[in-house]
Amino acid sequence: MATTRAVLTPLSAEFPSSAFAALMTVNARPVLAFDAATDETAQWTFVAPQGMTGTLTAVLSLIGAAASTNPTYWDVSVEAITTADATDLDSADSFDSINSGSVAMGATQGYMVQLSITLTNKDSIAAGDYVRVRVTRDANNGSDTFAGDAYLLAVEIREA
Amino acid sequence: MAILSDAQRREAWAEMMRLGGVSIAKADLRAAFDAIDDWLDANASTINTTIPQPARSGLTTPQKALLLALVIRRRYDVGA
Repeated sequence: MATTRAVLTPLSAEFPSSAFAALMTVNARPVLAFDAATDETAQWTFVAPQGMTGTLTAVLSLIGAAASTNPTYWDVSVEAITTADATDLDSADSFDSINSGSVAMGATQGYMVQLSITLTNKDSIAAGDYVRVRVTRDANNGSDTFAGDAYLLAVEIREA
Repeated sequence: MAILSDAQRREAWAEMMRLGGVSIAKADLRAAFDAIDDWLDANASTINTTIPQPARSGLTTPQKALLLALVIRRRYDVGA
C-alpha cells in the first residue's frame, strides 16, 4: 500500500533568488504559476519521516491557464543531507540528478491533471535526513508545448 | 520601423502566453507572431503609402507606428 510521506503546498514553498514560480491564487486557491517561456523553480524543505525506505514518487497536481491538452514537462530533484555530510549548507546545494516527466494538460481549463514522477535519483535519502525537493517546469524542453502558465496546486511525495 | 529581434519577439510571445487562454502549441503561437512581424516588415512601405497626405509626410515614423498600433488596439477592444 502506498504511503504519503510529505505534502508540499504553494504556501509552504521556498524560492530561489531568480527564475522562481509566482505564488498567486486561482479562484482563491493558492497556486504556483510556472511560466511557459522560462524555466522556473520552487522548492520545499522537510525532514524525511521515520520508516521511509522504499521507492518514492512525486505526484504533481496541476491545472493550466488554457484549455489545451498540449503537455507540460517537469523536473523534480532531491537533496538529502545526513548528519556530518560533506556539504556546506552555508554556500552550496547538493541536489541529485533530475527526475523528469510530462503530462497532457486538461482539455477543459481548470480540470486538474496529475503527473507521477518516480524519484529514481533521490540522493540516497534516509529517514531523518534534512531534505529539499526542487520542482522546475522545463519550459524550454521540446516536449513542453503548452502555451500558458501551469499552476501547481500541490505535490505529494509518495512511497510505494 | 525595424523588424523585431529574436529576443524582442520572444519577450512578446512570452507575454501573450502569460495572458492565458491560448490553446495552440507554443511553437505554433511563435510562428504566428513571427509571420505577422515579417509581414509588417515586408509591407511597411505599403502601409506608409496608405496614409494620406499631409499625414504621411507630417508624422514621424514612430508616430505612424503608434497610429497603426492604436488602430489595431481599438479594433481588438471592440472585437473586430
